Amino acid sequence: MTMNTGHAEHADDDGDDHVPQVSTYLIGLTLAVLLTVASFWAVNTHLIYGPGIPVALASLAIAQMGIHLVFFLHLTTAPDNINNALALAFGLLIVGLIVFGSVWIMWHMNYNLMAMGHPM
Amino acid sequence: MNLLGKLTWSAIPFDQPIPLFSAAVVILIVVGVLVWVAAKGWVPYLWKEWITSVDHKHIGVMYCLLGLLMLLRGFIDALMMRSQQALAFNAPGYLPPEHYDQIFSAHGTIMILFAAMPLVIGLMNFVVPLQLGVRDVAFPTLNSVSFWLTCTGALLVNLSLVVGEFARTGWLPFPPLSELRYSPGVGVDYYLWAVQISGVGTLLTGINFVTTILKTRTYGMTYLRMPMFCWTALAACMLIIAAFPVLTATLAMLTLDRYLGFHFFTNGAGGNPMMFTNLIWAWGHPEVYILVLPSFGIFSEVISTFSAKPLFGYRSMVIATLFICLVSFCVWLHHFFTMGPGGDVNAAFGIATSIIAVGTGVKMYNWLFTMYGGRIRFATPMLWSIGFLLTFITGGMTGVMLAVPPADFLLHNSMFLVAHFHHVIIAGVVFAVMAGITYWFPKAFGFRLDEGWGKATFWFAITGFYVTFVPLYILGFLGMTRRLQHYDVPEWRPWILLAAVGIFIYLCSAVCQIIQLAVSICNRDALRDVTGDPWDGRSLEWATPSPPPAFNFAHLPHVENLEAYWNVKQRAREESRLDGAAPYEDLEMPRNSPTGFVCAFFATFIGFALIWHIWWLMILGLIGAYATFVVFAWRDVPEYVIPAEEVARIDRANRAVRQEALLSEQPT
Amino acid sequence: MSAADATVALRDPYHVGHAGESQARGHGAGGPASKRIVVGYGFWLFLLSDIVIFSCLFAAYAVLAQATAGGPSSKQIFDLNRVAIETACLLASSFFCGMASIAVAKRSRLWTQIWLVVTGLLGLAFILLEVSEFSALHAQGDGPTRSAFLTAFFTLVGCHGVHVSAGLLWLGTMMAQLFAKGFRADIRRRFLCFTMFWHFLDIIWVAIFSLVYLVGTKL
Repeated sequence: MTMNTGHAEHADDDGDDHVPQVSTYLIGLTLAVLLTVASFWAVNTHLIYGPGIPVALASLAIAQMGIHLVFFLHLTTAPDNINNALALAFGLLIVGLIVFGSVWIMWHMNYNLMAMGHPM
Repeated sequence: MNLLGKLTWSAIPFDQPIPLFSAAVVILIVVGVLVWVAAKGWVPYLWKEWITSVDHKHIGVMYCLLGLLMLLRGFIDALMMRSQQALAFNAPGYLPPEHYDQIFSAHGTIMILFAAMPLVIGLMNFVVPLQLGVRDVAFPTLNSVSFWLTCTGALLVNLSLVVGEFARTGWLPFPPLSELRYSPGVGVDYYLWAVQISGVGTLLTGINFVTTILKTRTYGMTYLRMPMFCWTALAACMLIIAAFPVLTATLAMLTLDRYLGFHFFTNGAGGNPMMFTNLIWAWGHPEVYILVLPSFGIFSEVISTFSAKPLFGYRSMVIATLFICLVSFCVWLHHFFTMGPGGDVNAAFGIATSIIAVGTGVKMYNWLFTMYGGRIRFATPMLWSIGFLLTFITGGMTGVMLAVPPADFLLHNSMFLVAHFHHVIIAGVVFAVMAGITYWFPKAFGFRLDEGWGKATFWFAITGFYVTFVPLYILGFLGMTRRLQHYDVPEWRPWILLAAVGIFIYLCSAVCQIIQLAVSICNRDALRDVTGDPWDGRSLEWATPSPPPAFNFAHLPHVENLEAYWNVKQRAREESRLDGAAPYEDLEMPRNSPTGFVCAFFATFIGFALIWHIWWLMILGLIGAYATFVVFAWRDVPEYVIPAEEVARIDRANRAVRQEALLSEQPT
Repeated sequence: MSAADATVALRDPYHVGHAGESQARGHGAGGPASKRIVVGYGFWLFLLSDIVIFSCLFAAYAVLAQATAGGPSSKQIFDLNRVAIETACLLASSFFCGMASIAVAKRSRLWTQIWLVVTGLLGLAFILLEVSEFSALHAQGDGPTRSAFLTAFFTLVGCHGVHVSAGLLWLGTMMAQLFAKGFRADIRRRFLCFTMFWHFLDIIWVAIFSLVYLVGTKL
């Protein structure tokens, strides 16, 4: 390690915030609208197997969230952005653990501790 | 419409001698200190240099001070509990049940959230930017806000002693007991708002430090060249960001139940009290790892320095840290095996709990291998570390016993559990904080702490710990449950008495600690740390003067390998001279700001108003808080300049002293 | 190439690792990252913590969704038409917030304020629709104190609404700051944070309308 190379320290330059394109937002908006319409359609149609509808809705929701992240929030895997993507992955892991973990645990507890005479 | 909400004169405990007396003593001390400070004319200095400071070093010191004060308060609660149990065999003791319940609730809340957390966060605050070779954290003013919000929480908890009451639910307020129907007083509300407000502060700290560690390191410091303490700080702060929102949400749900009649956790209308237990422990378990991971980091630093050897197995330490970080979010159910999840769920979480011990095992071996073959100096920090190595192992093992669900069905909420968690927290966190404070004290204040009194503190502490808590394990096997205000089982009596003896041994440790501080301050010239490197350290914080100037480093270091400072030092020793100095430049530093203090001021009023249902005061407080925010956002000059001559003067003075020390060093 | 570089090249011929060579700022060799990146990352972490809060509320909703305690179930109280309009408002406001980002990047004071007003009005429309839904339910006795399901519903959707309202307050403050101080670097950083927040609100709404409203009318 050297303490003395006399590098000028980085001034508070923000780098130029690059101008995003209108087309990015328009594509994002279009895709989001399509996915939203698809979700509303999925509940009203008879074309999708009933018990599979929640899965379809969840998939469409995840896809739309991805659209938002990429087209509106400009989340990429560029070197400056990798930490953001990793943080998001970690956050999603936590969300998964909390939601699915809680549902799993509570379902078991409710089942085991149901009041007597309660219809199953 | 009552202007003061639920607040009346009956909130002050005139009819209860013990709280009244303690409140009077505390108020006298606080007022006395304030008057003395004002009379000595220190208020402008304190305001300018400490209260409005955004310097991570000052904030770190203040956190540690808060933590030590709260540690003392929590310890007094412990003395009261042990003595009550010692007296209460077929007798009522001196603490009525309503009071005893508040004491054990306050003891847990204060120790975990207002003693251990501030101490650990304080050490992180002080050390991490110095070890990363930078001038401050990513968001200095936010750091100040975090600290002062934590103070607000601590103030509210302690205020409950004087005005109103504290929760009687234990340190985690499980419903239905904590619901309005069964806890109609303000106790649970004091708890809820104190923890919520300080929780916001802690979350902001987590964000601050993850950003600092990932995005602002000095030149050349890649991830695998970071000191171990920074890795553990990173892991702990990642856990803070992941876990504290769960605490916020869960307590908010309980608050909504209590204030607006919602039905999250109520007994009726479809509420599910078990959901609270589930969610709160989803926070609660990561919380203890938030405390213990930086503690492990402290031990890595201390053991390495006082063995005069690099940390053994650095990469495996990093992996073990991240492993513990991840798995700590997969074990929370082991806190409620007995609530009814059933065999499958219990087995899954029991196995995960056993697996997490592997990470700690890796660390243990690495510490031992670090010591092996080294030249060990048994200074006070090293004593705390060796005490930790021996004690934490057994405490962790009792944890693995509890991780086995069938065993836990017998041991859950017995004194065995109480012994286990005190075992790991005291050996893990308290010993670490003692070691860390002793280790970094000279860096912060420019003089070392007295060695003799430090050793006395340690020996009383470890003896007191074993004499207090080993009997509690035995009591657990004998069937004693936790939180008993009185008992009538003769077999338990000798062990309870022995535990009471133990806590008084530990009291000697606390007294020695206070004496150590006083003696060290009186003898500070003899104990002066002249060069800034009193322990022959290995990481960058020892490259600065003691105490470091506001800007930490005159030039940001350029790091080429792990143990950055050690390599510089070795080269300097070989060449018998320091590296040449580059030209000095003006430095910009963040300006001090009263934002944190003012924000917390309004937060205190908001909290108090919400507790006592004084709605107009709450609204005023919210407006004030928002106004503070806007005023801060409107400022035009966020930084001030330290001129190059000033930087040069400070740096040259330190370099001269170090050069002199270098020349007078014995050749190794 | 220096000796060190040559050694690294032998160990890492395809430049897969970083080995401290990356001169980019915020990656080690390059020193601390720029303020914009630091602020953006810090706020990103804050948003992730907010997502965790919502996940707890989602978990509570999932657990309590069937606990109607004799009161109405989701099928009976959800009005998908209103939800569709709310979704359209919020999505459109996200788009116009993006337009405002472009205006800020181009340093156009007029268009920044125009797009922000549109964003705000759409957000306000969303809030008014949601308030009307809540007060209608409350008026007919199906407020959050009626059952655990309603508690969880009101809290989850209401928490999102509180976030949108706070966002509107922030939007107003942002408009005032841009008006008073122009496009100074720190104000642009704050605006970046605001846009991240606003888009994130729409992301949460996607989860809400899909998993609460749409699933609720089905199950």
